[in-house]
Amino acid sequence: MVTQLHSSQSLRNRLAEFRLIPRVETCPKVVSFAQTSLGRITMLATFGLGLCYFVPNPFIAMFFTSILAFMTFMPEYRHFILAVTPIAIVILQSFKEPLLLGLNLAVMALGIVLYWCTRRWPESRFGQRPVAFLLTGFTALIVFACAATPRSLSYSILWDLVGFMTSYIWFIAYALIDRSSKPARDLTLELATFHPLWGSSTVPFPKGAAYLRRIEAQDPERLAIVQLKGLKLLAWAILLAVFQNLWYGFFHGYLRIPMPDQALAMSVRGTPVAWHLRWECQILAFFELILGFSVMGHRFISFCRMAGFNALRSTYRPLSATTIIEFFNRFYYYFKELLVDFFFYPTFLRYWKGHRRLRTVFATFAAVLVGDSFFHLTRDWQFIQRDGLWHAIMGYQASFVYNAALATGLSVSQLRKRGHRPTGFFRGRLLPTFGVCLFYTLVIVFGSEGRQFSVVQTLKYLASLFFIRW
Amino acid sequence: MKGKQEIHEFVQSLLTGNGDNGSLADDDSLLISGRLQSVDAVEIVVFLEENFGIDFAQIGFDRDQIDSIDAIYALVEAATNRN
Repeated sequence: MVTQLHSSQSLRNRLAEFRLIPRVETCPKVVSFAQTSLGRITMLATFGLGLCYFVPNPFIAMFFTSILAFMTFMPEYRHFILAVTPIAIVILQSFKEPLLLGLNLAVMALGIVLYWCTRRWPESRFGQRPVAFLLTGFTALIVFACAATPRSLSYSILWDLVGFMTSYIWFIAYALIDRSSKPARDLTLELATFHPLWGSSTVPFPKGAAYLRRIEAQDPERLAIVQLKGLKLLAWAILLAVFQNLWYGFFHGYLRIPMPDQALAMSVRGTPVAWHLRWECQILAFFELILGFSVMGHRFISFCRMAGFNALRSTYRPLSATTIIEFFNRFYYYFKELLVDFFFYPTFLRYWKGHRRLRTVFATFAAVLVGDSFFHLTRDWQFIQRDGLWHAIMGYQASFVYNAALATGLSVSQLRKRGHRPTGFFRGRLLPTFGVCLFYTLVIVFGSEGRQFSVVQTLKYLASLFFIRW
Repeated sequence: MKGKQEIHEFVQSLLTGNGDNGSLADDDSLLISGRLQSVDAVEIVVFLEENFGIDFAQIGFDRDQIDSIDAIYALVEAATNRN
């Protein structure tokens, strides 16, 4: 009996330890090899080959691999290369359009000037609340752009400026909150983070220059380990991307299950959609979100690691989350960090200090309802340009409900007492994970990116999942 | 060193609560390494406010300040000297 227990325990341990991609970075021989010239070339060549999966042009993949090779063999120039290469790329891409190039470089310069101002006058009003000033200024710019006469020169300049500011705003914001960290000897890394070489969405991967300085590999052994982790992550990204293609091909191509927006549109038009089909496309949408964000995040972070920075993954085992807050943390880490850094902490540290629960809820709503809404409204500035500010806000109504529901779920999740979780596989693991997945599957009904459905239409669709019709 | 012991026990309890039963040295990175999350950082902030009277709204908040037990203790000492 004891032997049986032991063998089942060891099987469980072995299963828990199993990795589809082995943990090569923990093997001393591999780490030693990765520090040799041959090892480095092998790693870089493998990474370059892997990169071709995502970068269809082999010359571009080769260019990025060469840049990585420079940084690997001459780490003392890493910051300089990271700062200069993206600017050179921007200049090469848009030198035929001097106005756009000028605006792009002007926004970068603005970021550096603002950063310098926070360092120079830390006690000023701006130095105390630089991000608040930045976001207020950005909002004012959007309002000015809305007020400009359509098709005039000022109109196109202002909207181009809004576009560039949107690309840089959160990168600049990270530079500004880095003011309280140890002063840097040079600003090259600050400049590098405004336009990361490894790519990024409007969310900074992985945060700002102060964070990069903390996670940078400082010796050849550490660099080898970090690069091996980068290589593994790229392999994982490719595997997931292949799986994603098969998934879409099977479910939406072969089985013809509609995308959630299509199902919602059909429902709004009065075209009957079978009950099970509505559920299927919602469940698929949940997994597709995870897959999409995983592939994107892994691509960026794998490159970042190859460049010598041991950044955490953006998506890390989200399906192992047993609480709503844990899933939020694991699903899209750097977006969550953005909301936490710029909205949650500033609110939490200032307001309702004597009321523990209230301050948590208040700060969570500030982060998710205000922060998330602001982020997405401004990110999709083309809607504002096309429809005007008021109509764009009205078009965002379903997303407001999404954010409110998410904020409520996250607040409840945080308020539930620590240490009183049920144990056992079913009650401690399976049931909570199912609950978390169900919550997000339902809440993403309101998260349509197309902005074409009202709250009432979306609510009706949600209710129809439970056979409720009105 | 009483304060440091208290901090150590508190951080250890946070790690245990997250299912992390690994060893904890005073200079181990907590947040940047990913062992603790931003929700845990909030717990640390409240713990320092309630037990050591630290007001982050006044002194400014940076995760570096609470990234290890040593860093937290240095913060507590600085706050005590200021008072």
